Amino acid sequence: MSAALTPATASVRHHGVNWRRWRLLAIGGTLVGIVIVCALFAEVIAPYSPYDLDVAVMLQGPSAMHWLGTDEIGRDVLSRAILAARISVQVALVAVGVGLVGGTIIGIVAAYFGGWIDLALMRLMELLFSFPAILLAVILLASLGTSILNAMLAIGIIFIPGFSRLARVATNDVLRQHYVDAARTVGMGDGRILLREILPNVVTPLLVEAAVAFAYAVLLESALSFLGLGAQPPEPSWGNMLNTGRGFMAQAPWLGIVPGMAMFLCVLGFNLLGDGLRDAFDPHLRE
Amino acid sequence: MLRLIAIRLAVFVPTLFAASLVLFVAINVVPGSAAKAALGIDATPQAIARFEAQHGLDRPLHVQYFEWLGKALSGDFGKSFQNHVPVGPEVLKRLPVTLELALLAFLIANLIAIPLGALAAFYHQRKMDTGITFLATVLGAIPNFWLATLLILVFSLTLRWLPAGGYAPLIDRPIVNLKQMIMPAVSLGVVSSALLLRIMRTAMIEVLTSDYIRTAFAKGATRGIVIWRHAIRNALIPYLTVGAVEFGFLFGGVVIIEDIFLLPGIGSLVLVGIINRDYPVLLAAALVVTVVVLAANMLVDIVASLLDPRQVHAKAAA
Repeated sequence: MSAALTPATASVRHHGVNWRRWRLLAIGGTLVGIVIVCALFAEVIAPYSPYDLDVAVMLQGPSAMHWLGTDEIGRDVLSRAILAARISVQVALVAVGVGLVGGTIIGIVAAYFGGWIDLALMRLMELLFSFPAILLAVILLASLGTSILNAMLAIGIIFIPGFSRLARVATNDVLRQHYVDAARTVGMGDGRILLREILPNVVTPLLVEAAVAFAYAVLLESALSFLGLGAQPPEPSWGNMLNTGRGFMAQAPWLGIVPGMAMFLCVLGFNLLGDGLRDAFDPHLRE
Repeated sequence: MLRLIAIRLAVFVPTLFAASLVLFVAINVVPGSAAKAALGIDATPQAIARFEAQHGLDRPLHVQYFEWLGKALSGDFGKSFQNHVPVGPEVLKRLPVTLELALLAFLIANLIAIPLGALAAFYHQRKMDTGITFLATVLGAIPNFWLATLLILVFSLTLRWLPAGGYAPLIDRPIVNLKQMIMPAVSLGVVSSALLLRIMRTAMIEVLTSDYIRTAFAKGATRGIVIWRHAIRNALIPYLTVGAVEFGFLFGGVVIIEDIFLLPGIGSLVLVGIINRDYPVLLAAALVVTVVVLAANMLVDIVASLLDPRQVHAKAAA
């Protein structure tokens, strides 16, 4: 165990790590790819309209006509699950965008200016971080009103503290580099240094983190829709499909299984993709 | 040690005030929303004005906050907009249900995470490690409310082993209580174990490659003694800190799980507050959840210091 690695074993391990990295990226990327294709081309892929109800076929089990069965008012479950991917991707995209932009600005400004600005901003971020995410989202939605747009905003606000911490740490690393001193020496203003020297150099870890945040955003959106605070019926969301479906679990268990499985695969995909990207950009972070 | 506890308490109190302010502002971020929400979108301006005057909502926000805070400090969280019942006693009545659920779930999470994390670290970069790490990834991707639904499907609707919902107090009917609590706790705990497992694995890998572990082995200590007496104890220090954060996430998760299993806890009270647009209820319930989460973080800081006395000096110096 303590023997030094020979070139041969080092090579095997090196290839092993590479394979592992690519395997995570490949599985995660495939799952995410499927979700994104569903989101973009839902109308083309879905075998039926996700909104068309047909009481003649309500609560029918999986069959050749309806691969994943029908719901309590005869809508095709597969078609609704495919369209629900769009809601999840939209919400996650906007929410992560809000968190990424807000967190990056706060983190960079805090690290660059330091002093009381850093102290005040980071204490506020720590405070926001101390609230359970779902609780904060629920409270913001109670105040803003329940809608998909407000769900995006609420989830985005939740992400701001996490991104700001990461941006601050990355900015502090960049500030130790000589090229920032050089930029100051040649008379560059704060704004130009922040935009041209710091931002491009902190963006990689933030984007890697965004993949993981994406997974969490999908989970939060589904949770809010499950509670009736996100996407409103008849708009399909995996969360509201599961919430409705659990009322019919005894007669139609697929109504509880299908939307949950879709959520699980989507979250798993983004998690694996995030892990793979993290491995690819910073192998030390894994251990 | 006493100095560290005093420092932590000194930080805890202002954090709590700040948290209460954030909650108060978040709930009242849209002026007039409480009245509109309580009376419905068709409410006339006169009705809204009357409602706001009746509940003191027409005054400046800071005045409302300090009045609410003053009363809250004496245990008066106001009255429900809906049924005019004092909110404080209702919250206190529900708190034990949520605490029991959260603690049981946290216990399950740790029972999964600590042994599996340690095992993965011990077999680092071998099949066992890969398998356990993959398991953690899978567990972390399962939405806890979906797991809850599946558990109900299997154990309540199909096998009929466990009740799908309801609550009997632990002291009065312990067996019934455990039967009712096991599925909600598993739903929360299994999903929470994913992050804890990864942290335990990482912490154990670090400890197992340290000099003092090599020394212990060199002195002839058995594997069991090295792992239990030296490795796990030291790996638990970083684990505990993340554990406190995870406890916060887990505590937030009770909002959904209590709703699914019809448990009369704080989480379901938060939902009642939202569905009825009953802001005093919502504020009190959310504040209690926040207090518990912050207190858990503080306690863990103190326990971590007990496990690692170096932290006492470092933090006291800071």
